[in-house]
Amino acid sequence: MITKIVSKNFEIPDSHLIDVALANGRYSSLKSVFEKEPQELIDIIKQSGLRGKGGGGAATGNKWQIVSDWDGVKYVVVNADESEPGTFKDRRILSLDPHLLIEGIIATCYAVSSNISYIYVRGEYEEFSDVLQGAIDEAYEKNFLGVGAKYRVDITIHRGAGAYICGEKSALLESLEGNRGHPRLKPHSPEPEFYFNEPTLVNNVETIASVPFIIENGADAYRAYGTEKSPGTLLFGISGNVNKPGVYEAEFGISMLEFIEKVGGGVKKGKKLKAVIPGGASTPILPYEMLKDARLDYENLSALGSALGTGGMIVLGEDASMVKALKNLLRFYHHESCGQCTPCREGTSWSDKILDRFVAKKATTEDLEILKSVSNSMNGKTICVFAPAASGVIDGFLKHFEAEFLECIV
Amino acid sequence: MKILIDNAEVECKEGDLLIEVMLKNALEIPHFCYQEDLGADGNCRMCMVEIKGQKRPQIACNTFVKENLEVSTISENIKEVKRSILELELLNHPVDCAICDQAGECKLQDYYMDFGLYDSHLSTPKTKKGKHIDLGSNVMLDQERCVLCTRCVRFTSNITKTNELGIIGRGDNSRVAVAPGHELNNPYAMNVVELCPVGALTSKDFRFKQRVWFLDSTKSICHGCSRGCNIYIDYNETKYSAEKVHRFRARRNNKINKSFLCDYGRLSYKELNENFNADVSHVKDLKELLKDEKKLALVSPSMSLQQLQAVKSFCKDNSVELFSLPYIDENFGDEWLKTNDMSANFNGVKELGINYDEDEFGVSLQEAHVVINFDHKYLKNRELKSKKVVHFTTSHVDSDYELIFVIADFAHDSGTIINCDGIRQDFYATKYESQNSRLVDILEELK
Amino acid sequence: MSFSFSQENSIKIASLLNRYPHKKALILPLLWFAQKQESYISEDAIGHISEFLDVPYMHIYSVVTFYTMFRLTKPQKRVIEVCATLSCELNGSEDIKAYLDENYSKDFEVIEVECMGACSGAPMCAIDGKYHENLTTKTIDEVLK
Repeated sequence: MITKIVSKNFEIPDSHLIDVALANGRYSSLKSVFEKEPQELIDIIKQSGLRGKGGGGAATGNKWQIVSDWDGVKYVVVNADESEPGTFKDRRILSLDPHLLIEGIIATCYAVSSNISYIYVRGEYEEFSDVLQGAIDEAYEKNFLGVGAKYRVDITIHRGAGAYICGEKSALLESLEGNRGHPRLKPHSPEPEFYFNEPTLVNNVETIASVPFIIENGADAYRAYGTEKSPGTLLFGISGNVNKPGVYEAEFGISMLEFIEKVGGGVKKGKKLKAVIPGGASTPILPYEMLKDARLDYENLSALGSALGTGGMIVLGEDASMVKALKNLLRFYHHESCGQCTPCREGTSWSDKILDRFVAKKATTEDLEILKSVSNSMNGKTICVFAPAASGVIDGFLKHFEAEFLECIV
Repeated sequence: MKILIDNAEVECKEGDLLIEVMLKNALEIPHFCYQEDLGADGNCRMCMVEIKGQKRPQIACNTFVKENLEVSTISENIKEVKRSILELELLNHPVDCAICDQAGECKLQDYYMDFGLYDSHLSTPKTKKGKHIDLGSNVMLDQERCVLCTRCVRFTSNITKTNELGIIGRGDNSRVAVAPGHELNNPYAMNVVELCPVGALTSKDFRFKQRVWFLDSTKSICHGCSRGCNIYIDYNETKYSAEKVHRFRARRNNKINKSFLCDYGRLSYKELNENFNADVSHVKDLKELLKDEKKLALVSPSMSLQQLQAVKSFCKDNSVELFSLPYIDENFGDEWLKTNDMSANFNGVKELGINYDEDEFGVSLQEAHVVINFDHKYLKNRELKSKKVVHFTTSHVDSDYELIFVIADFAHDSGTIINCDGIRQDFYATKYESQNSRLVDILEELK
Repeated sequence: MSFSFSQENSIKIASLLNRYPHKKALILPLLWFAQKQESYISEDAIGHISEFLDVPYMHIYSVVTFYTMFRLTKPQKRVIEVCATLSCELNGSEDIKAYLDENYSKDFEVIEVECMGACSGAPMCAIDGKYHENLTTKTIDEVLK
């Protein structure tokens, strides 16, 4: 079930060192990159069907095109603020194959005509950003970066400092400008993101890390993996009540249950599978009964009422308390709301506090009604999708596991 | 171009901001974070409307009108949206209207009556935040009443650029604050009280003094300097006390002061409440004095055109040499509203051709036997030996002087003044009769 | 009491200055340097950064309070951050937290934090920025010995 494109070098010892990286094919795509016109690269990415791997799944080629077409000094910002609970894939790239990321950044910068790139790494990933910095330093020494390079690109690591919301691209840019991480109002027509008012591309680490393979092998080689609408592979994460938690690269469209069983080693202690949160905490939970035909791609999970998200599955075994699990997640949303929009600031706090009453088994029927109503108040009324995500989480738990919540009502 | 709002046609231009179109047409649109002179921030989500063809409700403060736009503010769906957002705004609010100075002019109260009217079903403890925080510059903060619209923060960061206020913390722990060891300290600080749509920021000067529903308002012009900022005079008369002015509020004028006032001007209402006793002289005594040959008059450059004209005629009729001098304070003005010329109508003085040459005034003053002071600060309480002095005054003067006529101040005598930019503006008298006569009436009597 | 960056940090800061289009962008990097240097962000440090970057003091203070990793008070003990989010909780983070509280709270400040992106190593904690994954009471003792 495993397919290794991005993770090809993960198991090679010391692949974060440039000599090892070079010996294992890193930077080899740059030859084909510089042979082509930037627009050709954008077209290849469009043809490959590459989709953003940070959770949204937007078409990468279109994003590139918008930035490329916009006048101004261009920036390429790599989103390494990986903070979605259940998601821990990008840190593998940062620490196990940072040169793949650097190679991808050079190609991306060339394609959208940018010379400046920032990698926004979540503050907690200090160890991994140190490894990445070492790799960047080496890439400068070997003239892959900086003035001596064939195409000048400067990469700067920018560390976050503990704010989940900075993974939202406009909040990330606010943070990168030296502000609080408040998401920006969304534009009314297609336009790029802006860093200090200049057109900016924001892509996830894994998205950029997928670029070298596509450029070197062609769009069709990438499309040979995955499904028609979700081409290629993803670094799937699996954690929770499983025997072999970890990050495993696989094609889109494979069976979720098979993945959990064969790759994740099944539920711990031989217990039964109760439910799966398919792609990071923000994707609605799905009960075992719905997973029979579930496949790991954007379309299939969306049809089931959830989403592929980051592909970071959290597996819950039969002993897991759904009330406790929801409480855990709502505490997370309460803690991480930026506090800008009223529905989110107040709604995440209120729903978290109501869950305390369920956990204490002191809830009332009205509490359940309030929870549903607060969830509704948070959905579709805020600047960014944080509150709607929290709302989707609540709705998912209540839809599939309401009985457990009813048991907590006095 | 026309758009449809609640099935009624509304005239507007392509690209206009929807909330501004609605406010201009006096259509009801609840909002906290949007303010005409601060713009929108988009955080309060209170101005949500339904737009035909859009799946989700949209905020009017970030919607630009275009051809064929159809807006609903009254559908069942959007009413529920507004109710639910208001409920969240009020969720952790202390609901202490009974002791809150904002009561009566509070947007939370207004909107609750318009869109809320639900029963609270909060079963969990409220979030506690700071209360009675003295920010400095007469401004008190209650963080629990705050809706975090950031108007005050945007005022200090974008308008005064003094940056004293900010949001600290995150999520439901977000609060407006000054940094520890710092305070709100700028000559326009008290505007944040007026900008605050709720009771979070209150004025130390006004709080606990009056309920706003007992106040009357009169359109006026601040007389603190030559800018001519538009104000409301808020005042009343109660059963046991005479008329009192309780505050000045900014009255929006896009060309002059927008929605703002300086603190000096805002607090200058106090002069209108000064109580002083003076023996009021008789007009016939003044007539006697006018028989003297060498007479000089100095008129305040803050008097209205009507008053200046009357003084001018009086002087002409009685052969009184007339001067006016501006009130200049080189340390008062700034690059925004405050001007070094602290007279309200010096341009009026110029328009009427009144002599304002300081040297000539000095020479004439030395020679004059009779000096008539029309409320000019320069001559008030100033020793003028061996001269006969007549004061027409709105404030206390030492009673040693020959004659004193107490006249109605600008809150009780309507008129017109011309500001530093040549803009002619009317102000009006409050509804209570002044105990003192209007200057023009006294001068009329003297004819 | 006044704050200034160490010589080593000043060199790093000088090289960062031409990496960004505006000085303001250096707020987070400089706060990190200040915290590394003093173990927390003092008022003097904020004042220094404010002057250095020509950014209002309140703006920097407001930024500091937004990010949970910045500390405004000097930690009295070393900090152990225990991840408490779902995958860790499903794998016994509550027991780990209880064990740490019981046995190590005298020398360490034990705090719960949200997801640190180490879900496959649940339960986990971080000490001085270093991750310790797949914790058991036994491995905790080994790490903290």
